Amino acid sequence: MKIRIIKKEDTADLLKEAAKDWDVYAPQRNLGGDIWFDVLPKSGADLDKALESIVLDNTDTVISSKDAFFPQLESLFRFDNNNIQEAVESSPKLLFGVKSCDLKGVLFSDAFFKRNLEDKYYLSRIKNRFIVVIGCLKPPRPTCFCTSAMSGPFAKEGFDLQLVDYKDSYLVETGSKAGEEFILKFNKYFKDSPRDSGKAIDEIKSRSAESVELKVDFQKALELMGQESFIPEENYKRIGERCVYCGGCLYVCPTCTCFNVFDNIKEKSGERLRNWDGCVFEGYTRETSGHNPRKEKWQRSSRRYEHKLKYDYQLTGSSGCVGCGRCLSSCPVDIGMSKFIQEITEKRMIV
Amino acid sequence: MKNEYIPFPAVIEDVKRETFDTKTFRVRLQDKELAGLFKYKQGQFMEVSVLGEGEAPISITSSPSRKGFLEFTIRAAGRVTKSIHNLKKGDLLHLRGPYGNAFPFEEIKGKNIYFIAGGIGLAPLRSLINMVFDNRKDFKHIKLLYGAKTPDELCFKDELDTWKKVPDTEVWMTVDKPCDGWGCRIGVVTELWKDTDVHPENAVSIVCGPPIMMKFVTMKLVESGFKDKDITVTLERYMKCGIGKCGHCNIGGKFVCVDGPVFSYEQVKSLPHKEGAF
Repeated sequence: MKIRIIKKEDTADLLKEAAKDWDVYAPQRNLGGDIWFDVLPKSGADLDKALESIVLDNTDTVISSKDAFFPQLESLFRFDNNNIQEAVESSPKLLFGVKSCDLKGVLFSDAFFKRNLEDKYYLSRIKNRFIVVIGCLKPPRPTCFCTSAMSGPFAKEGFDLQLVDYKDSYLVETGSKAGEEFILKFNKYFKDSPRDSGKAIDEIKSRSAESVELKVDFQKALELMGQESFIPEENYKRIGERCVYCGGCLYVCPTCTCFNVFDNIKEKSGERLRNWDGCVFEGYTRETSGHNPRKEKWQRSSRRYEHKLKYDYQLTGSSGCVGCGRCLSSCPVDIGMSKFIQEITEKRMIV
Repeated sequence: MKNEYIPFPAVIEDVKRETFDTKTFRVRLQDKELAGLFKYKQGQFMEVSVLGEGEAPISITSSPSRKGFLEFTIRAAGRVTKSIHNLKKGDLLHLRGPYGNAFPFEEIKGKNIYFIAGGIGLAPLRSLINMVFDNRKDFKHIKLLYGAKTPDELCFKDELDTWKKVPDTEVWMTVDKPCDGWGCRIGVVTELWKDTDVHPENAVSIVCGPPIMMKFVTMKLVESGFKDKDITVTLERYMKCGIGKCGHCNIGGKFVCVDGPVFSYEQVKSLPHKEGAF
């Protein structure tokens, strides 16, 4: 694989040019100081301003990049009297600066939305997409545990291009045919890299991996969760007592894909929409009759952990946790996947 | 690629009141070409919409052996079902599906069949019941054990009378609260075991009703000697998409909408107890 190099200062121009052909998503610092993975305006002064707000180095994006393909709120169709108009969105998307853990989340969601009957909305959004991963030199969050979850800090596959931070430039690895074509199309920005850059990349990757301090026995957790009723109900009850059921962990999670569907109507016309929903909410399984099979808080806590670490793994061979650590960093009561894993693998009370 | 979320219109041809809060809607797909191609299996459900109000999963109560129309028996319980109840002959419903798996049919030929239903739980069973009656000679003795809160809340009253008269067929009924002139048993469905023999020999049982009823009926069937695999249930869960995506109907690693709604009791027992299949 040929390694290229691009100057950091050239990336804004590259994205400006790419914005003509793609909806470009990149991590941007907003007025409040948080970094959101959001779409850039298409052109003009707004685009220039947004390009200036892009932060690529060691960024902690509040929400993963899942929103680009599975928006928090999206229209399924519009209706006027009884005429239905499908609202499928399929413009090509370029995601620039995706973290390797989030890429794993994207690939996991891709497989999920293809399983059983296909989800046209999701699949239309991922068609013609282009993903540029940026590896992490050090963990953006103290709660990151990607080396344990085997999801980072650099991606091994599934990207079109992967950037490796190198002095005033990025070394660029190509992961697909589309990646090669992209480099040819924008060849004025990409130069051949210095001869020893392969070795430099290896060194950077291993140094980066060493910098991830939080380590958990992920594989052991998956094995333990696979055993019938291994986790005593008391563990879930303790979590259930502490959890405030805000749903923050679900929204920030790269693989949470549950949604609600509802209609919004004004007189005779309106639309059917879907928005993110989640298993920790009391109303999530409550039936019209009032019967609720997961009425108790602890049943919902159990659902969340067992879905990610047990059923996802049993069904697909990969766990629904990618080790991004956002559930813990966003939690107001200090509960998170890494702590749960430590508790069950190290048999000590943490959560 | 087919868009599974886009519903198609169906015209209401007939509305029949079953109980004070339940009606049966007979519909025909508006698009003739689609109607010609449309197929469904006994035990499947559809997502039924009133545009602007929302969508609800409703089991198809008509039998695939009777072609040209679809029937849904709907209790006015929530926003969507209440708005469906406001519709009349000639109005439109919007449908998606059919979704889910089916009741066994070929597999239960040559057997004695026990249909056991509680309240509106008879609606999903009715699809298979009429299919069995339309192929009566392929099956042995048939018993329907049916319970409701009050005599008024028994669905399909005309058909209960018709079914009784089919040779080698018995219909046993019970209610929690009788009215004057009620000649059948009083009590929960399992009380009907006192009226009639429930024998596991060369028999299968098919059960649908409220969660608490399913729990006690399956226990009673096991006690009567039925093997777990010879007990079939159909489950209800809060559901949004019907295609294994929205997550609401998950029990353990299963989606009720895709892997069910029909499960053997053997399968139900393998689901995590704490997620309450019933």
